[in-house]
Amino acid sequence: MAKEPILSAKDVEIQFSLRGKKLTAIRKCSLDLYKGETLAIVGESGSGKSVFTKSFLGMLDANGKIIGGSIMYDGIDLSKYTTEKEWMTIRGKKISMVMQDPMTSLNPLKKIGKQIQESIEINQGIKGPQAKKLALEMLAKVGIPDPERRYNQYPHEFSGGMRQRVVIAIAVACHPDILICDEPTTALDVTIQAQILNLVRSLQEELKMTVVYITHDLGVVANVADRVAVMYAGQIVEAGLVNEIFYDAWHPYTWALLSSLPQLGVKGEPLPTIEGTPPNLFNTIKGDAFAPRNKQALAIDFEEEPPFFKVSDTHIAKTWYLDPRAPKIEQPKSIRQLRSKMEGRR
Amino acid sequence: MIKYTIKRLAQSLVTVAIVATIVFLLMRMLPTDYFFTEDQLMKLTPEQKTEQLEAAGLLDPMGEQLLRFYGQTIRLDFGQSRRIQSGVPVIRVIGDKFGISLRLGCIALIISLIVGVVLGIIQTLNKDHILDHVGTAYTIFVNAVPSLVSYSLVLVFGSKVLGLPPIYSTRNPGPSSIIPIACLTLASIASYALWTRRYMVDELNKDYIKLARIKGMSSKTIMVKHVFKNAFVPLVQYIPASFLYTISGSLLAERFFSVPGMGPLLTDAITRYDTNVVQTLSIIYASLGIIGVFLGDVLMMLVDPRIKLAGKGGTR
Repeated sequence: MAKEPILSAKDVEIQFSLRGKKLTAIRKCSLDLYKGETLAIVGESGSGKSVFTKSFLGMLDANGKIIGGSIMYDGIDLSKYTTEKEWMTIRGKKISMVMQDPMTSLNPLKKIGKQIQESIEINQGIKGPQAKKLALEMLAKVGIPDPERRYNQYPHEFSGGMRQRVVIAIAVACHPDILICDEPTTALDVTIQAQILNLVRSLQEELKMTVVYITHDLGVVANVADRVAVMYAGQIVEAGLVNEIFYDAWHPYTWALLSSLPQLGVKGEPLPTIEGTPPNLFNTIKGDAFAPRNKQALAIDFEEEPPFFKVSDTHIAKTWYLDPRAPKIEQPKSIRQLRSKMEGRR
Repeated sequence: MIKYTIKRLAQSLVTVAIVATIVFLLMRMLPTDYFFTEDQLMKLTPEQKTEQLEAAGLLDPMGEQLLRFYGQTIRLDFGQSRRIQSGVPVIRVIGDKFGISLRLGCIALIISLIVGVVLGIIQTLNKDHILDHVGTAYTIFVNAVPSLVSYSLVLVFGSKVLGLPPIYSTRNPGPSSIIPIACLTLASIASYALWTRRYMVDELNKDYIKLARIKGMSSKTIMVKHVFKNAFVPLVQYIPASFLYTISGSLLAERFFSVPGMGPLLTDAITRYDTNVVQTLSIIYASLGIIGVFLGDVLMMLVDPRIKLAGKGGTR
């Protein structure tokens, strides 16, 4: 993984103005994406997973703004983009996105085929029958049988899983470098989830895409991701290869997240939950944002924000626990048992 | 589709028949004195009255009268007007007025559709900015101020400032219809603008608009290709009905500007006991309403692929 990153976000800060107040949703967040990899971003609701990745293609809501940092892609700083015209050179062509709910992502009054074709026509400058041919190919590629007939159908004639396939076809119709999947399976039936994940994987191989999954389903993460980034309160707190995060995590929030996996539950006992609530992002946060919810927090956690410590070449964690001066803290027992438990299940 | 149309048509006929029957019976419940003018009431002896009533068939048993009424209606014989234009067939009485109402109404409808929808689009494009607020202020003003007040304002402005004729005249129908038409459009422009804006804003906030942006579409293309068409679909349903209702004329505006249209006809016929006119108008109004809704549904089906009027639609 010593390759050049394809996209490199550095110290990104994103602020929303809400009812006259400023909410800092992303606080100096950095992330590198490499070509062809699959990264999963996990974290609880409101941790900023979606907002952070949406900023890569200028899809922040109107009241949100990147106020600091840089997002370098192909030698250009995307964080400086302001006009729609600039973003139109990126969206669909270079970076694309699949949203959560396939039931509402398609225009109900437009033929499925036309909606895919539209994307091809805008981005590739191909018109008419040729674009139609590509759209049909795309339909076949995402595993929709009988594309000729399906092309002329409307979204209501498709099931949820089929619609998500169409949404994916639209998103990748112009062969983007990066595909962001924002909880692509949350709204779907469990039996369909695996199919959609497989589809994304095969398209990824075929088109050599980088895929970013945003999810809070750790099962999905374990299945698809090469690397995992854990987000909390607008920051990435730990990032590493999937095994490193699952079996050798160091940030207390990652521990808490993993301990609440149902696989680790003991029969008859309630599942562990993360107590407390995430910090209010309207306020400035002092020290480690997770400290107030962390029972084993160190005194310094409340005073000063920890830097990133390197656990391995591919694994970093933002916690004072890894400072050589910190008192000796062991990973919780359940985390150490995770490997055997998970493997035992398979 | 054909099966559905036939079924719908049959239902409609039943509805019209019920309306006609109720109106007929209501008219017959009035005391027979209504048959005579005041003059006749004073001068005629009771025997003469009975004679005339019998000749008109009004003393026959109710069932018999009703059957006769049905028979005539089916033969499209609506009888003659007795008071409004004595002795003239009802169809002619209505026909003369109908033309005037239809002309004014259609012009007003077309103007308000175009202006209203355009205003709605402008409001959406400038949402929460000055033009949007101006549009909203107009909508609220028109709805909050009683029609007669706003009509008077238009009248004063039109006649004093623009020098237009203040009252409709058959000799000079062109210029003299301008003020009445302007008044007719006032409220409907407001409502078309309101609904257009509302449906467009609704569409704009939907997820598929986000996906269209992610695809790389410009806001302008999205507006034209996605938002406008989708927002227009719910509006389409009401267009045939509003078109047909123009035939019935506007009671208030036509009275206010002395337009000899359909608007005041029904109330006139009722107050003057012109039974045949009342019955015929009721049948016409009921039919117009039913046809309007039906055409709206058909139109809706043509523009919205999700709607299948007959049978069970949905996923295959």
